Amino acid sequence: MSMKCLMNCFFCLPTNSSMALSATCSSFLWGIPFTLNNNNNKKCFYSHSHSRSYISNSTSSAPRVGFLGIGIMGSPMAQNLLKAGVDLTVWNRTKSKCEPLISLGAKYMSSPEEVAASCDLTFAMLADPHSAIDVACGNHGAANGMAPGKGYVDVSTVDVDTSKLISQHIKATGALFLEAPVSGSKKPAEDGQLIFLTAGDRNLYETASPLLDIMGKSKFYLGDVGNGAAMKLVVNMIMGSMMASFSEGLLLSQKVGLDPKVLVEVVSQGAISAPMYSIKGPSMIQSVYPTAFPLKHQQKDMRLALGLAESVSQATPIAAAANELYKVAKSHGLSDEDFSAVIEALKSKFQHS
Amino acid sequence: MEVGFLGLGIMGKAMSMNLLRHGFKVTVWNRTLSKCDELVEHGASIGETPAAVIKKCKYTIAMLSDPPAALSVVFDKNGVLDQIGNGKGYVDMSTVDADTSLKISEAIKAKGGSFLEAPVSGSKKPAEDGQLVILAAGDKALYDEILPAFDVLGKKSFHLGEVGNGAKMKLVVNMIMGSMMNAFSEGLTLAGRSGLDPSTLLDVLDLGAMANPMFKMKGPSMLKNNYSPAFPLKHQQKDMRLALALGDENAVPMPVAAAANEAFKKARSMGLGDLDFSAVHETLKKPDH
Repeated sequence: MSMKCLMNCFFCLPTNSSMALSATCSSFLWGIPFTLNNNNNKKCFYSHSHSRSYISNSTSSAPRVGFLGIGIMGSPMAQNLLKAGVDLTVWNRTKSKCEPLISLGAKYMSSPEEVAASCDLTFAMLADPHSAIDVACGNHGAANGMAPGKGYVDVSTVDVDTSKLISQHIKATGALFLEAPVSGSKKPAEDGQLIFLTAGDRNLYETASPLLDIMGKSKFYLGDVGNGAAMKLVVNMIMGSMMASFSEGLLLSQKVGLDPKVLVEVVSQGAISAPMYSIKGPSMIQSVYPTAFPLKHQQKDMRLALGLAESVSQATPIAAAANELYKVAKSHGLSDEDFSAVIEALKSKFQHS
Repeated sequence: MEVGFLGLGIMGKAMSMNLLRHGFKVTVWNRTLSKCDELVEHGASIGETPAAVIKKCKYTIAMLSDPPAALSVVFDKNGVLDQIGNGKGYVDMSTVDADTSLKISEAIKAKGGSFLEAPVSGSKKPAEDGQLVILAAGDKALYDEILPAFDVLGKKSFHLGEVGNGAKMKLVVNMIMGSMMNAFSEGLTLAGRSGLDPSTLLDVLDLGAMANPMFKMKGPSMLKNNYSPAFPLKHQQKDMRLALALGDENAVPMPVAAAANEAFKKARSMGLGDLDFSAVHETLKKPDH
């Protein structure tokens, strides 16, 4: 694909939001007017681009979007894009996970490189730094298919250095890069209610925004690459500590003869009432942990957050204590359970079935 | 309805004012008698001693700061035991350990009185607004009789069974709260040190599954180093310590709570005991801040 310098870009926003999953634009184009429905009440505006910084495509159809990583998060996120009419191409290390999407109309390519090469903007949702680097920079990685005019949006949760490394590799090809880790797990992903914590190329943020709005309820642009990764780690560090502390409370209440269901109700009435407690409390009391956010990923995030704290010489005693509990839970074989399974780490012999 | 009220600190003052505003006849006592003056202006009567209040009132509520104060009011000369007897009820809304509560309960009942422990979840503003969560346990008949007062003081009341259960429930809740405050403080500090805007962190937290009134209320003031006390840090640390003792008695591992307790102790050693418990945030700051 040759580089094109677009001097302006024409957006069409249907005012009737029946197409959109959240109440925002679900169709847009780069270069040429395009409509996804016959709604005559379109609101359109011009936006001048800076040369060489806008995504371009040489055809006059809708932008081609790639999605690498079809796991707990990637699958519902990609589905939401498909349902909104996005031209989607997917890849996953295990191809079978893509079948539901293919039956909904997604295309499939057998490597990140091919997906990136055939798309204008490619998302990546991988489990950890190692996978994110491999998919972006490894053999047949996305970077091999990137070029000027394309964009790579990594929505994986990784540490700052990993994100910067991926950014360097992507930008070396002339393409744009945006890190965009999300806050929210399986259900928010299904419901299009994720929170994007983005940083990197501002222009790519602007261009990707309509797609983020399909998958999420809010988005933040936080500046330089690394800021999104850091914000996500801080958020999940707090979350991991909160869950560990809640676990201690539930277990203590049971051991001293209180009804833990009443504890959950009391908590829900007061200043520390959080949706997470009301949602997870009942299943934790039953010792079941249906996986919305795998414990191994929570522990990964704690570890990376502790690394971040170390890099700025900050004490985080509560997070450190909580991390130990997640490690114990992992050693008990609970890695793939929901992170609320951390309560098992406090029990004398775990009762997990 | 007429009630006695012992203890006019941050909570007791707000609670007794609330009762007065809702048409209750209130007879108050406080160790420092001058604190009664404002209540008197709003229609309260004064009792010179806890015994005097008990003598006058069928029901007496107590709101003291810690186990020693709660015990003193009951067992000391001119204390509650001097005048408690058949037909009188004592409702202790202080936050104490289960053993202290049991001790008070036994002494009251031995004299023929009825006893209800009823610690609350909620601090100054919920007390002013009548939005406390009341965790009662003990004499069920007394609970039913005092409910009109509870309905003024709080938004929800629980009867949790035998004496000790209310105390334990309160300690468990405050243990979680103390750990959460520390987790929050660690996050706010790390955000700032990593070059992020901590108030953006507040916005992000408020949108997700972790959103809670405490973060929303305390976050902005913590970022401004404003710690005017709604719940004094020394009491929060007392509660962590009592919760850890409860875990200790029952061999329950509580590493996160233990770490949080250390942070509150450090804050006390820095002289922050009388500030709001959110002042634990100061323990993470570099010395030159």
